[in-house]
Amino acid sequence: MSNFRRSQNEAHPNKTNTILTGIILLQILFVSMQIWLLFGALNNALEENFGFALTTFIGSLIMAIASIWLLKYLPEPIRKDGPKKPQVTASNQPKN
Amino acid sequence: MSKEDPGKEPSWKADFPIESKRATHVSRREFAKFLGLLSGAFALSNGFIVIKAMAFPSEKLEGEHFVANAAEVPVGEMVQFEISGEKTIPYILIHLEENEWRAFEQKCTHLTCAVRYRKTENKIECPCHNGWFSADTGEVLQGPPPRPLPQLDVVVKEGKVYVRERERENV
Repeated sequence: MSNFRRSQNEAHPNKTNTILTGIILLQILFVSMQIWLLFGALNNALEENFGFALTTFIGSLIMAIASIWLLKYLPEPIRKDGPKKPQVTASNQPKN
Repeated sequence: MSKEDPGKEPSWKADFPIESKRATHVSRREFAKFLGLLSGAFALSNGFIVIKAMAFPSEKLEGEHFVANAAEVPVGEMVQFEISGEKTIPYILIHLEENEWRAFEQKCTHLTCAVRYRKTENKIECPCHNGWFSADTGEVLQGPPPRPLPQLDVVVKEGKVYVRERERENV
């Protein structure tokens, strides 16, 4: 059975590429910011700055949830042996 | 034992029908999942810092600790000493001027190299990466250290030098 998703995928084959690139770029952005926050938290925690450590943890947690949530939008892998599109032939035409 | 047909695929290949190219290939989907996992690990380690700060707050130094007799440390000299507690922490006592004493932790805040007082510059030097601290306040003057040196208060009583936990200023 054909559905909207399949039609979209077949009509726009580059879309999968764009979505994957977007997801990976966003995740790299989140991870980079988390490294920055972790570095700051380590330095500040050593100076007994508890508030900063807590704030960076909350920020880091939100970013982790966001980057895991993004995985929901990963496109399904294209299966080579998927069902073939039905071919319309003259014999399938409705009779008048 | 029957002879294997040389043209036929060996049995082990039929049992594990995964090409080596497929086994080593990391798809973008897998990479994205790995990034998600990495992100979670960073959040966890940040949480670990918070838990550690909450569960094990750094203990204050209790009471006064005798270091040396004031007469034994001339002006411009430095004495190394340790205070044992939960951890043994090395400190330095500096006789800056007459009746001017300072005590700092000896571990550089950059990579914990041992710092030393330089009389000629009147500064504290970390020789590992050319970091310099103020001998008066412990503030970073130059180089890679990110934080000032932790400081203790120095009390001189009857010619004996004691150190104690620093009382917070402007609190």
